[in-house]
Amino acid sequence: MVIDLNDVIPFFHWLPGALLYWLVIVAIVTGIATVVAWLVAAVRHGPIVAMRLTWRLLCGAVDDLVRMSPRRVAALAWLSIKESIRRRVVIVFIVFIVILSFAGWFLDPGSINPGRLYLSFVLTATSYLLLLLALFLSTLSLPADIKNRTLHTVVTKPVRASEIVLGRILGFAAVGTCLLVFMGVTCYVFVERGLSHTHQLTADDLRPLQSGPAGEPAGLQGYTSRANRHRHKVIIDPSGEGRLEMEQGHWHRLTVHKEGDKVSYQIGPPEGMLLARVPIYGKLSFRDRKGQVEAHGLNTGDEWTYRSYIEGGTLAAMVWKFQGVSEKDFPRGLPVEMTIGIFRTHKGNIEKGVPGSLAVRNPQTGEKVDVRIFEAKEYVTDVQFIPRQLHTADGQPRDLFRDLVDDKGEVEIWLSCVVPQQYFGAAQGDLYLRAGDASFPLNFAKGYLGIWLQMMLVIGLGVMFSTFLSGPVALMTTLGTLIGGLSHEFMFKLAMGQTYGGGPAESFIRMLTQDAVTVEMEPGLRTATAQTVDALTQFWMRLMAAVIPDFGHFSFADYVAYGFNISGDTALTFTCRAMAYLLPVFVAGYLCLKTREVAK
Amino acid sequence: MQSDVVVETQSLSKVYRDFWGRQKVRALKALDLEVRRGEIFGLLGPNGSGKTTTIKLILGLLFPTSGKALVFGKDATEVTKNERIGYLPEESYLYRFLNAEETLNFYGRLFNMPRAVRRQRVADLIEMVGLDWAKRRQLKEYSKGMVRRIGLAQALINDPELVVLDEPTTGLDPIGTRDMKDLILKLRDEGKTILMCSHLLADVQDVCDRIAILYQGELKEMGRVDALLSVRDVTEVRAAGLSALAQEELKQVIERNNGHLLNMGNPTTTLEELFLKIIHESEEHPGRRVRGVQEAQKD
Ligand SMILES: Nc1ncnc2c1ncn2[C@@H]1O[C@H](COP(=O)(O)OP(=O)(O)OP(=O)(O)O)[C@@H](O)[C@H]1O
Ligand SMILES: [Mg+2]
Repeated sequence: MVIDLNDVIPFFHWLPGALLYWLVIVAIVTGIATVVAWLVAAVRHGPIVAMRLTWRLLCGAVDDLVRMSPRRVAALAWLSIKESIRRRVVIVFIVFIVILSFAGWFLDPGSINPGRLYLSFVLTATSYLLLLLALFLSTLSLPADIKNRTLHTVVTKPVRASEIVLGRILGFAAVGTCLLVFMGVTCYVFVERGLSHTHQLTADDLRPLQSGPAGEPAGLQGYTSRANRHRHKVIIDPSGEGRLEMEQGHWHRLTVHKEGDKVSYQIGPPEGMLLARVPIYGKLSFRDRKGQVEAHGLNTGDEWTYRSYIEGGTLAAMVWKFQGVSEKDFPRGLPVEMTIGIFRTHKGNIEKGVPGSLAVRNPQTGEKVDVRIFEAKEYVTDVQFIPRQLHTADGQPRDLFRDLVDDKGEVEIWLSCVVPQQYFGAAQGDLYLRAGDASFPLNFAKGYLGIWLQMMLVIGLGVMFSTFLSGPVALMTTLGTLIGGLSHEFMFKLAMGQTYGGGPAESFIRMLTQDAVTVEMEPGLRTATAQTVDALTQFWMRLMAAVIPDFGHFSFADYVAYGFNISGDTALTFTCRAMAYLLPVFVAGYLCLKTREVAK
Repeated sequence: MQSDVVVETQSLSKVYRDFWGRQKVRALKALDLEVRRGEIFGLLGPNGSGKTTTIKLILGLLFPTSGKALVFGKDATEVTKNERIGYLPEESYLYRFLNAEETLNFYGRLFNMPRAVRRQRVADLIEMVGLDWAKRRQLKEYSKGMVRRIGLAQALINDPELVVLDEPTTGLDPIGTRDMKDLILKLRDEGKTILMCSHLLADVQDVCDRIAILYQGELKEMGRVDALLSVRDVTEVRAAGLSALAQEELKQVIERNNGHLLNMGNPTTTLEELFLKIIHESEEHPGRRVRGVQEAQKD
């Protein structure tokens, strides 16, 4: 999972800059739109008249946007809701239930991480269904109204074009929101039900452990019964307290009842499966094999932009620097969670994992204390606890907060690989302090907020396109925008010329000539043409990348599925971003409707 | 003081263009019209002569290619003028998934009418168009005439000063037609202005004060209906209670120019005849106003 750390700026730090940026963009777009409007009018009516017409349009626009009547907007929204009901949106809900009931057979609660599987599934299913619904509703409505001429009866009432566009957006948003809430609740119940299971444990399942040298009892050990294709190892202390080990990302609470001689065990529902971990991220830097600071580690060929690697058995290390670490937040020590990538140059025992070392360093004094050697397993989230009491190599005691966290509350965590010729890799988000857990249902709801934001963007764009395009064309355009937005990153790279093998035209020629992407093309007319075409395409792509919203970014599904809390800042920031995008889209839709002939 | 002219067009022209901006049809050529307060004005013309186009331009549904359309002295594209207008389209373009009550309520809300006023008005209008018995049924179950009635009710929801009716009687049964005509006259008597277009000549003749005749987008004739229809070189005699002998005698008397006439005036042809004559002459001499009738209009 790629966590975008740019998002984690606190909302109120983000807001002023973003607002300014937004205002500048809006001003520029307004300026361009005015010039375009003037040009169009000038072609038809001459420059002087065009100036008057443009001025009138601007004044009219301000008037129409400011003087909207809530009652009319409500009436138009109500109409859209009625229309949606007539188009049988309920069917979507039925389809959804059918999908869920089929999924109940196919989703395996016995897989390695069933929580993640279930959550990804429900979130993806909901978002696809809902986005499709939003797409169809929003793009087909207005063109149908124009085609059936029902709009004639409406626009000959004192209705402003702005009210028609806003009413539509709000109406469909209401329908979508209702469905989303229903789906969300259903999904939550579905996930809870699908994952809930329990195991049986009786006294016969437990065997006494080898007792110590003095013959003192060492407790009991055994396995629970199987459920969902797994069982848990049980360890019961000599004191009688028992616990179940983690399996498939969860554990159960064990209660022991004693009635005279008879002991019975009761196992609770699964815990730790549906989480909303609150991570605190640090800033990652690397040390090369001689111990010198560098911004990036090595590339091992795959995943080259995301993870960087360090070589084992050298001074190379990955260093995370954390800020604002205080005794108050972590009274017992630092809980560190990490997911390390391993690149093996020799196989060894794949099952065994590669030993690595974990250390803490005070960035001010430079004192570094080793915490322990641990076994890194490939892509398994490992939990390491750094206790308060630590010891230097020569046995001197050190206190975590007094000696290793500096006055500014900063501390460094160092990871290095112990085995020569093996490599550790990580990205910034792969190691974090787990500050605690937030409420999972709330996080789940925030995941749905992400879908809601995406839906709102689709509705806004759909209605906007449908003000000047016919139904099917508006549908395809919105769909194209949606797909473009979902593959935003790729498009952006294409636009910046960061992919191998050149742009589309060059790639096409390479395909014909079967050249490898890394071979330079021989100079000539063909190459020159291809590169010119690509330069133009690139400009266009860059423009598109700037205009199309980054839909993928608005999806919080990964956060929910991987059990990370979506911070309030993230939720707020993205809500604001979506609204900031919707506002100009709405105005554009309004202008298109206003300047078109309804009866054409 | 309010001006006496409710609708005015100044050399209004409309050219329909296709997607590429190429000229397709010149639907309206330099039309000058004036509809005055309190009159019933009829637009006449054969199919495709530009009646609906004129109305759409006046309502701001289309933008003129050149010239101007003014309603209440404001540009036709102003939204606020719609507060005082009621429009019944060619066919009733209403949402078929709403029922009569919902439809009227919806349009009432578009006029920003408060709930209490709206409810009363909706009830009154449904009563007026005689659809009380079917007000809870969706419009898609309605017959053509019933939809038309709701369309009319919808046009009157705001108690408009200017009522624009595009083919008001199509789809109505004879009684409905009669009711519609009575209603139009009643609206006029209430001081409202009515602009209607139709090719049902009898209807136009019955209700209109003034008419304009369009042919291929050009204004061919405009004037008061009674003036247009008078035929000056014929004398009509209407007498009652005369025996055959007396009639014979009357003829003689008239021949000698000193008879007793019960009624002597200008008889009228039917509008239909006039209409056909104009179309016929226009085909022979395109681009010219029809002469004979134009003179008639002068007095
Ligand atoms: N949307 C349009 N695109 C292109 N041409 C059109 C369009 N609407 C109307 N026309 C043309 O404009 C001319 C006038 O049409 P209009 O609808 O105004 O006639 P009309 O007098 O209302 O006829 P009818 O009595 O049949 O209703 C016709 O030639 C018609 O083909
Ligand atoms: Mg017509």
